[in-house]
Amino acid sequence: MSDGHAHLHEAIIPWAQYAQELCDPKRVHEKPEALDDLRVLDLSSGNFAALFASSILAEFGAEVIRVEPPTGDVARLFTPEGVKHKDTGLAYLVEARNKRHITLNLEKEEGRLLLARLARHADVVIESELPGQMDAWGIGYRQLSLLNPRLIYLAYSTHGQFGPRARQRIPDYDITSQALSGVPYVTGEPEGQGPAESSAPTKQGNWIAWYVGGGFGALAVLAALAWRWQSGRGQFIDLTPAEAEMRFSDAGVIWHHAAQRIQERVGGLHIQVFPYTLIKTKDSYSFIAGFSDVNFQGLTNIMGRPELREPFATTRDRIGKARALHQELQKWSGDLTSEEILHRVQDYMLNKKGPGTVATARLNQPRDTLAESHWWDRGVFQKVEDPDYGELLLQAPPWKMSATPPRIKWACRPVGADNQIVYLRYLGLGGERLKALKAKGVI
Amino acid sequence: MGDASPKAYFDWTRKLFDRSKIFDKPEALRGIRVLELTTLVLGPTTADFLGEFGAEVVKVELPPGGDTMRYVTPEATYWKNASLGFFPENHSKYHVGIDLHADEGKSLFKQLAAKSDIMVENFRAGTLDKWGIGYRQMREVNPRLIYVADSGFGQWGPFSQGRASYDAVAQTVSGMIGITGFPGRPPILCGIFIGDWFGGLMSATAALVALHHRTRTGEGQLIDFAQSEGLIRTLDWTWLRLGLTGRDRGPAGNRDEAVVPAEIFPCRDGYVAIAAGRDREFKGLCAAMREPALAKDPKYATLEARQKPQNMKALLERIRGWAAKQARAEIEAAGVKHGFAAARVATAKDKHDDEHLRARGSVWEYEDPLYGTLVEQGPAPKLSETPARIKWAAKPVGWHNHDVFTRLLGLSPREIKDLQERKVVGQWADRPGAKPPAEWDGSARI
Repeated sequence: MSDGHAHLHEAIIPWAQYAQELCDPKRVHEKPEALDDLRVLDLSSGNFAALFASSILAEFGAEVIRVEPPTGDVARLFTPEGVKHKDTGLAYLVEARNKRHITLNLEKEEGRLLLARLARHADVVIESELPGQMDAWGIGYRQLSLLNPRLIYLAYSTHGQFGPRARQRIPDYDITSQALSGVPYVTGEPEGQGPAESSAPTKQGNWIAWYVGGGFGALAVLAALAWRWQSGRGQFIDLTPAEAEMRFSDAGVIWHHAAQRIQERVGGLHIQVFPYTLIKTKDSYSFIAGFSDVNFQGLTNIMGRPELREPFATTRDRIGKARALHQELQKWSGDLTSEEILHRVQDYMLNKKGPGTVATARLNQPRDTLAESHWWDRGVFQKVEDPDYGELLLQAPPWKMSATPPRIKWACRPVGADNQIVYLRYLGLGGERLKALKAKGVI
Repeated sequence: MGDASPKAYFDWTRKLFDRSKIFDKPEALRGIRVLELTTLVLGPTTADFLGEFGAEVVKVELPPGGDTMRYVTPEATYWKNASLGFFPENHSKYHVGIDLHADEGKSLFKQLAAKSDIMVENFRAGTLDKWGIGYRQMREVNPRLIYVADSGFGQWGPFSQGRASYDAVAQTVSGMIGITGFPGRPPILCGIFIGDWFGGLMSATAALVALHHRTRTGEGQLIDFAQSEGLIRTLDWTWLRLGLTGRDRGPAGNRDEAVVPAEIFPCRDGYVAIAAGRDREFKGLCAAMREPALAKDPKYATLEARQKPQNMKALLERIRGWAAKQARAEIEAAGVKHGFAAARVATAKDKHDDEHLRARGSVWEYEDPLYGTLVEQGPAPKLSETPARIKWAAKPVGWHNHDVFTRLLGLSPREIKDLQERKVVGQWADRPGAKPPAEWDGSARI
């Protein structure tokens, strides 16, 4: 095999050691990149779904060229409390990895002509203008695909490029996409459980719709790429973060179809499995699960409460009487720290003290997660030394791969930092001509 | 293209993406076979996302009970003897029952792996290696195989050894729950299996990356994916701010802390999300609220001013007061008219009944030979040339044994019967979740 690990495959060594050596994050830079034959133009504006999609492609080796207006993408301003690091918002610094940054003014005719020329060199174009805007500018998929039939064109919007609501064009934000996905409707405390403000449909704290939308964008581009190997042709991909997150909504739509039921909020409980819940502990909260019959047997063994098995004998009993069972769990957990609960569960599981699989975890604030060595051993977090932005703590690509691992090469570039190399390399524009374009506000 | 008017554009997209033409178009992953040995949601979604694009998915389950998800269904209620929780991540698959504890079962599985392009498993780290059907063994059988190992904590590292994980464990350890919900209130779970679904999406993506590499080089590989690490990746600016300023992140309720204004507000007939990050959008929102002066107020005129915590708080209160008097549809219409983002918090019924989502195939109604009419969430990305699709619904344990063993392994009916008698292969248990609907008359074959 060509992966340089021949010795590993032969010897009988423990699986974990084998897998670690095969996928060691410290060695990623010795290995090839899967997508280093791809060139991507990311023209998106203020859209972290698009930015995450191009981040994924860049992590796997694609040359991603971010095209920003001369003043910079508004995404550079989306940052908590307006906090900036070297003039750039924090969120942008996370999703600019491995990307070249050029400026181009698409509101000017000359800028659009340059874009069309760049698109001849691209495998993928990503954009997030209101549906039809790029087409009206003469640089949409209809026009660019005539210049470059192999082009894969990914367009982000909230309601999509077709369908009865497509013409109701609104700017695409995470919060509106979360709302449309229906996930907030089933997340949070039910009405009457606490203060009115918090007994409401609740969004995820992070930009989950944008991240899901970004993931589906990368997946769809790769599927289109697989088709391009076969056909030689590109295609148009229409993607909405709202529908992307909606795809994840479990049995939501089919339950309504089958039983005319609408899933409602249950806070920290669960309607499909129980116990599968958050419980108060002496020092924090913990998640705990033991929901099938045998796993519930294990959990009640760990709790020292085997008598609970009779009133909560079946899955239906446990879900139906979840609140009562939740109280029993909290009677037990209230006297223990989250760490003690984890030790008891692991002692039961690892020393095979009885049947059943029980899962538990202490509720982490991000700082707690950052303090756990597991993630650092696995390269989940990385301190990136960036030439322009200094040392930045970033979440690394989440995959370990034996042959073509993803990686971070740099974190970000200032606005227009790659104008010289990109315009020279792809369009032969250098020196005075570039200066003239800048003077005219084209780049 | 001569006519670049909006009407011409939307006429063109309507034809390009016509839902009724999907089955007249080719599939992107035609000829790719995925061998799935997974349970619950993370592994099944990995394979399902590939199946939507045309990969042939052979789902192997341990007979007669099969995948645990067959018994995870809302309020423990079955429909036509099936779990409603099992359908959304198991489409168009070939369901095969093999006892992998038996040597002959392992041998059948290896033969299937030899003829597959991608294998997906989500056992605890090292389990399949111990059984003799893990990556180390499979790469001998099929060096071109892309082996996706999905798990809670990864194949190695301190947490990977013997620690069980589910979706909500990933939500908990990643910090996601810690930054979600309202300050001072008990923590809440995401109402869906977000870590599983997102994990499946990430794994499927990596599998296609590996496929691209294989097309170029012929080489397969191991992909080690942990769903907790997937969610950590989605926590946007959380980690960077911690690194730069030492400041941790907690829950912030229903507002977006980085885009201002952006919050979910109660209104007359439900809840609506409103966002207006760019200054021109904010101006539009102020016009809709009939408070144009707000847009010129130096406290609010620029995004940077609005992001200051005290300004943000005051501004969101004013919008809250306005939204409370409107209906969902009124606020949505104002967003379209004035150029800011507004969208309802959709319920399952909103989605189920939505003509727009149906026209787009994001709500997908279809006829299954065994279960009749189904309505589900459909594939999310819309591809013009190779659209994703749902062909049939999940099936009982071992439903396709004959089809797969005959077609892929060349076994005769007599050989299959013999294997079945010796319990090497098997079909459904006589219990809801595993077995066909009571009204099944034996005629539905797929």
